Amino acid sequence: MVMTKEEQVEAAQGYVGRAMKRVEDPRLIKGIATYVDDLKPPGLLYAEFVRSPHAHAKIASINVDNAKKLQGVVGVFTGVDLNDKVGCVPTAAPQPDGKSPLHYVLARERAYFLGHPVAVVVAETRAIARDALDLVEVDYDPLPAVTDPEKALEKGSPLTHPELGTNVAFRWSLPAGDVESAFKEADKVLKLRIVHPRLTPMAMEPRGCLASWHAGESSLTLWTSTQIPHLVRTLLPGMIHIPENKLRVVTPEVGGGFGSKLNLYAEEAVISHLAMRLNRPIKWIEGRRENAAVTIHGRDQIGDHEIAIKNDGTVLGIRTKIIADIGSYLQLLTAAIPTLTGLMICGCYKLKAAHTDVTGVHTNKMCTDAYRGAGRPEAAYIIERVMDFVASELGLDPVEVRLKNMPAATEFPFTTATGLLYDSGNYQDALKKAQELANWSSLLKERETARKEGRLFGIGLSTYVEICALGPSKIMAAGGWEWGCVRIEISGTVTVITGATPHGQGQETSFAQIAADRLGVPIEDVVVLRGDTASAHFGRDTYGSRGTALGGTAIVMSIDKIIEKAKTLAAALLKGNREQVEFERGKFFIKGQEKDYLGWGQLASEAYVAKNLPPGLEPGLEASSFFEPSNCTFPFGTHIVAAEVDRETGQVKIRKYVAVDDCGNQVNPLLVEGQVQGGITQSIGAALMERTVYDENGQLLTGEFMDYAIPRAEDSPEYVLGSTVTPSPSNPLGVKGVGEAGTIGATPAIANAVIDALSPLGVRHLDIPFTPEQVWRAIQKKGD
Amino acid sequence: MIPVAFDYARPRSLDEALGLLATHGEDAKVLAGGHSLIPAMKLRLAQPKVLIDIGGIGDLRLINQQDGKIAIGALTTHYEIESSDLLKQSCPLLPEVAGKIGDMQVRNKGTIGGSCVHADPAGDWPAAMLALDAEFEVVGRNGNRTIAAKDFFVGMLTSAIGADEILKVIRVPATAKSAAYVKFAQKASGFAIAGVAAIVDKQRKEVAVGVTGVAPAAYRAASVEASLRGSDLSSATIASAAEKAADGVDPLSDIHASAEFRAHLARVQAKHALELAASRG
Amino acid sequence: MKLAATYTFDSPPEKVFAALLDPAVLQKCIDGCEKMEKTGEDSYDAHLKVGIASLKGSYIGKIRIEDKKPPESFTLNVEGKGGPGWMKGKANIRILPKENGTELVCDSEGQVGGLIAAVGSRLVEAVGKKMSDEFFRKLGEHLKA
Repeated sequence: MVMTKEEQVEAAQGYVGRAMKRVEDPRLIKGIATYVDDLKPPGLLYAEFVRSPHAHAKIASINVDNAKKLQGVVGVFTGVDLNDKVGCVPTAAPQPDGKSPLHYVLARERAYFLGHPVAVVVAETRAIARDALDLVEVDYDPLPAVTDPEKALEKGSPLTHPELGTNVAFRWSLPAGDVESAFKEADKVLKLRIVHPRLTPMAMEPRGCLASWHAGESSLTLWTSTQIPHLVRTLLPGMIHIPENKLRVVTPEVGGGFGSKLNLYAEEAVISHLAMRLNRPIKWIEGRRENAAVTIHGRDQIGDHEIAIKNDGTVLGIRTKIIADIGSYLQLLTAAIPTLTGLMICGCYKLKAAHTDVTGVHTNKMCTDAYRGAGRPEAAYIIERVMDFVASELGLDPVEVRLKNMPAATEFPFTTATGLLYDSGNYQDALKKAQELANWSSLLKERETARKEGRLFGIGLSTYVEICALGPSKIMAAGGWEWGCVRIEISGTVTVITGATPHGQGQETSFAQIAADRLGVPIEDVVVLRGDTASAHFGRDTYGSRGTALGGTAIVMSIDKIIEKAKTLAAALLKGNREQVEFERGKFFIKGQEKDYLGWGQLASEAYVAKNLPPGLEPGLEASSFFEPSNCTFPFGTHIVAAEVDRETGQVKIRKYVAVDDCGNQVNPLLVEGQVQGGITQSIGAALMERTVYDENGQLLTGEFMDYAIPRAEDSPEYVLGSTVTPSPSNPLGVKGVGEAGTIGATPAIANAVIDALSPLGVRHLDIPFTPEQVWRAIQKKGD
Repeated sequence: MIPVAFDYARPRSLDEALGLLATHGEDAKVLAGGHSLIPAMKLRLAQPKVLIDIGGIGDLRLINQQDGKIAIGALTTHYEIESSDLLKQSCPLLPEVAGKIGDMQVRNKGTIGGSCVHADPAGDWPAAMLALDAEFEVVGRNGNRTIAAKDFFVGMLTSAIGADEILKVIRVPATAKSAAYVKFAQKASGFAIAGVAAIVDKQRKEVAVGVTGVAPAAYRAASVEASLRGSDLSSATIASAAEKAADGVDPLSDIHASAEFRAHLARVQAKHALELAASRG
Repeated sequence: MKLAATYTFDSPPEKVFAALLDPAVLQKCIDGCEKMEKTGEDSYDAHLKVGIASLKGSYIGKIRIEDKKPPESFTLNVEGKGGPGWMKGKANIRILPKENGTELVCDSEGQVGGLIAAVGSRLVEAVGKKMSDEFFRKLGEHLKA
């Protein structure tokens, strides 16, 4: 395949580093992409779940007779029918003293959270299934619901799971350094309590799956809106009792995950089992209210922090006690999330010591698990609030306090008190650049003027660091590598198959950029496949901002293997020495004889037609690789926010938003910008309007978009974005990951700005979300 | 998200619609823009056996001026009101309210009649209807009757319309030039936590203040109006009168706004609405 | 959700007390009560169609009358279950003599769950108050007759 002159010129300039539009977008925008609900195989049945309207109740009886009689209903199943045939929902992060409650796919004797599935109806149409739900009669004996995690730890509290004898799900501690002596050395010890509310991920597409059993082959195909087809393929077989190599998991288009689809859910197992049992394909699509109630929630930490400081602003150490309200069960990574908070508690600072105690508490709520940032937004929030708090208590400049505690760029790689090796970084540069972009001195003047006029105007910043591209297999539950396969087709076009499972991150484009550059082919010739375990044989999927750093590297490794083989083949075909073969921009030639080159098309043809292969060389031009990373990566940045608070109504307006993020090398700056904008916007939600609310009976009061506010376009200010580039030494691409960085850096910056705005009134701390009433009450309390 | 099965009828005239209502009685529900009824049906909170879609009855969609009053057909959409030149001229309060309802999609489908009959305690129209002393002409099998706004919004989700009647047209005076509607919206739903419509009559030195979102039904802030009768409408007088905006009502309370905060917002919004209205016309 | 309300009647306390314990009267006064079935001494199943305007749901309410201290006080326990969700309420009723009649003090607390809690929470308190007011208004009318 010979390139045109234009293509050669373009390829010469390279794709990597270019802000290119995504190849995914045309089909998404035109509505011709395939999501789970678009699949309608012949004979399809529809499933709906009967769900408990009580947060905690004994299930006295379930009568399905009337539901079964409804015409078009194919079956109605309860826990009695399923729980001994389908395994329990697994957790990959059980605790060492592992007293985890057994998580049956359907509630049996008790319901433990609002929405707990109690029965499942399968019918010819979705409408019939929905009608049948109303005919299932469940008799509940309500029990007291455990809804306050702190009260849940008190003596005499009702128990979420009586058989555990306690509401403590787990205790975890991370001692780091000599905390005792750090506190002895302190001039002052400050105390700060921070509540990080529970959040609902609210992906635009709720969950759904379609399972289809091939009786002849005894194999199951599961299409599911997931982030983790490979992990599902590993964990689901045990639940539904088929061999792993008889299960194919396919991820179609996914309308957002944000961590909420980084899980294996009861419904996926139930639908799979029933498809096998009824020998017909079955589809289940989650409704929005279901999604709000029974898809995992995020965050929900109450932290009491003690900070040991010196009067000059040095932060010596931090003691943190966190109560994590994890809900009723442990889903896939539930217990691991708060541990990431403990790991990152030092932020980007040279704290001598830190000690984190986490108590995971069972309550009658939906489980928490990974939600964009997964434990790291909580950590960044804590340490960045602490920095501002320290500054205001000591009467120091919050920028100076941060600079005082940061490592210099020359001190990298830098090991934190918690034992993490930060691979590369220059926090001062990012901070400086952000201040320039924000016109820092004029912001200070603006604040001075506003305060003279009695207006509540504040400036906040966060200098965050986060850990992503998880990670070395030694620290991961089930392998932290990534897999990538590259194939030169007979025609010379290129197929890239990644074990990552992007679901909106854009790697269909960015991996094509990487491959096209490295192979020296036009990007139009590259196709990137993902998400189908039949073609992406191996993978550890997408979460923790690992796609490009790990998946991209696996692809680079495979391409390099192919180039090596191609050189051998080229040497034979060009009748030269292997050592003299050069490869440049898609051309193989003997050194000094560029005009006699072979391109990929010719080589591929030779490789597969195989008439002229040198002895010992196998046909084919394909390679696959596993990339095992030596370290995680540590993106960082500085966000600066100016906000104004309306005294009368408590409304917060963001007047300026500047973000400088360093995610190492950028394969596609357009994708980076998109991720940062999205991440910040999601943080605006957390800071100003989002909170999952259960009442004292465990009823979910924020089960709809009527009550759970998420940011709309009008809520996001004009972001001023910049970046610094500090390549990561942990992978050959030098990339760090950026999917969660915006979310991690933004919330503390916004919080610091609003608290700064309220500080003339004597407000020292206020918990998010800063709803108008929350802010108004803070203003009232401090007097005016 | 799937309603209970229902039968659907699309009458071509008011008479036909009334006949269907009489036949089916409690089993039927009238469908206008559908943006309150259909969500309720999808949640199965409403389960009408028969849906009477009056959307095709052209008589119900109009905006015109007769005898110093403006007539707005019940099926006029919020968007049609928002963009009506006649209303911008003769009763600018209405386009101002319409523009604050929901979002563009809701405004293209939702109707003023449907919204008023639904009588959501946080809907925007009732505040303006009360302030304007609007008149609701309602049609039944036995003829027409006119209901004053103060009698129309009976309670939470309850209007004075009979089960066998259909709202035909709403009439408002064409004189309210110094008017304003301000709204503090619930962030998620866009409904009013406190929405205040204020009309100032500079000649008579009187004001009319309608409040929605604060109480189980929209109300006229009578204490505020009494305080400002014959006054000079200075900032100070307005501020002091607005303090009474929540007098005599039991404010609603939910996770978005406590009763105390809602009452406070009623006062703040009343002040802003009056100041804005006084600065116009 | 807690409600406290006081109602006055022209009838003497004994008559008010007796009326409140009469299932036929209860059925008449509870708006939307289609049927009252006696299920035991002082307990009934009430078939209710309640809600606001057209947003009505069908519920079966289990009513229990407890702690009877005629003619002064009793406690009413209601647990209702239906399509749109469930509700649970307890009302302490005190009947006090007053000049020319009776003063009735009703202290109640209630909880709701399911759909009504999820989408109707802002209305629940107001609906509860409205239903309570309606009930005692109807009781007043019945007593006058």
